[in-house]
Amino acid sequence: MADASVIVAQVIFGLIRGILLGCVFALIALGLNLVWGIAKVVNIAHGELVMLGAYGAYFLNLFLGFNPLLTAPIDAALGLAAGLGFYFAILHRELRGKEAITLQSEMVTLVATFGLSLAISNLANIAFTGNFVGIPFDAGSIEIGFLQIPLAGIYVAVLSVVIISLTHVLLNRTYLGNAIRAYSQDIPAAKLMGINPTAVAAIGTGLAFAVTMAGGAFLTTLFPTGINPYMGALYAPISYVIVVLGGPGRMWGSLVGGLTLGIVIDVGQIFLGVEIAYAVAFLLLIPVLLLRPEGILR
Amino acid sequence: MLRLEGIDAGYDGTQILWDIALEAKRGQMTVIIGPNGAGKSSILKVVTGLLPPTGGRVFFDDEDITEVPAYERPDLGIAACPEGRRLFPQLTAEANLRLGAYTLRARRHADDRLAQVYALFPGIRPRATTKALRLSGGEQQMVAIGRALMASPEILVLDEPSLGLAPKVVTEIFETVHRLRLEGLSVLMVEQNAYQALRIADYGYVVQGGRVLRSGPPGELMDLEELRKAYFAIS
Repeated sequence: MADASVIVAQVIFGLIRGILLGCVFALIALGLNLVWGIAKVVNIAHGELVMLGAYGAYFLNLFLGFNPLLTAPIDAALGLAAGLGFYFAILHRELRGKEAITLQSEMVTLVATFGLSLAISNLANIAFTGNFVGIPFDAGSIEIGFLQIPLAGIYVAVLSVVIISLTHVLLNRTYLGNAIRAYSQDIPAAKLMGINPTAVAAIGTGLAFAVTMAGGAFLTTLFPTGINPYMGALYAPISYVIVVLGGPGRMWGSLVGGLTLGIVIDVGQIFLGVEIAYAVAFLLLIPVLLLRPEGILR
Repeated sequence: MLRLEGIDAGYDGTQILWDIALEAKRGQMTVIIGPNGAGKSSILKVVTGLLPPTGGRVFFDDEDITEVPAYERPDLGIAACPEGRRLFPQLTAEANLRLGAYTLRARRHADDRLAQVYALFPGIRPRATTKALRLSGGEQQMVAIGRALMASPEILVLDEPSLGLAPKVVTEIFETVHRLRLEGLSVLMVEQNAYQALRIADYGYVVQGGRVLRSGPPGELMDLEELRKAYFAIS
């Protein structure tokens, strides 16, 4: 009997942690979804942005004592700048003047971001060393019955959902957002509306990088000692799985995909161990791609 | 108000247009007719800036706009309803309409213009929240014309508004365009449906093989027996 109640408690705790983690995963995946959906760039360096966001949180904590929640807007500003720089340095050469983004262009940008990914993670290894580091951040916890839930996790989860919602509002309710969506659907028609294609693609890429780096800062509260130069190698595939689960181009899909993955990983590791839980999360992709290639929503 | 002089243009080194000279006068309805593949749509792409000419100049109100990029031309007052309508398929009808008023110039009047567009095409109001890809062909054409009108244009550029539509809908669209012209809007329209287009035109150009073959008032063009046979296929 005691065993059963322990397992039930573990599962409930795993479920809650999975939901919190899933919200942050969703934010990180939203960044990939945006850049994939808008500029049709399969950004292999996506995981490295998460890593840079996490290191941003680490160094701002180390030198200025900022907690990860305070770092997130700073990370987002850096991400915006990095996204604009990335667009004009790399993407613009390939996408400029194109009426539609062809498979060939997608391949060019994919290979370019692959190179960027290797360069960033190795430079980070030189600059930050390969040691795992973390941020001591304890915002206290709340107790529900026998469960102790860290408040920091709740904060980052709520903030992630808020940022996803704001992005949704931006894309659906503002002229800029509709211009970004118009660009992603028909570039010549967007020009006829008076939309400057270079401007909206650059802003879209900047927005994508901003939310990704903010997500990297949030992540450090859930994995207190998980910051290292190669952490991107885990978060890039996680983001791909989430985007495919939720359906590329669907911003709410990212949330559904993120929660699914968070819960599978956190509840799964109770029974299967960490490694197998992640494997199961990635294996989810196969039936989803086979049965619902448009994503699990609708 | 809009003038092309000696326009040469093409795609990927293949020349499509040869020495096109054309003028659309203020307050008039100018139509470009001719058979399929004559280069009619390419002329409009030069007008809207989507196809940069390799030779010649484009003037708008006597100002040389040849080098002005496509996305800055709506701000000048040139609004286009492109070939194949080109609505944003995943956006609702109303979001498509509102994007027509994207320029800062037009944005201020967006709500008023929207009301006018709905008054002009009452049929699309109940479809406001429907995604463009789920609209019927006729509804799509109305939204596409409405979207161009949202820009509060000085000149409306229409590319084959009758394409792929049922005859009854075509008549309706032409009547609406004619009404806009009577209210004072300048229109430059490309049509394959020459007879119906010339009926509401003030001036016409016949294009074939990328060249202007003939131009004149509609009466003159309709009387040309050889043109009838060659391009209009009127029995």
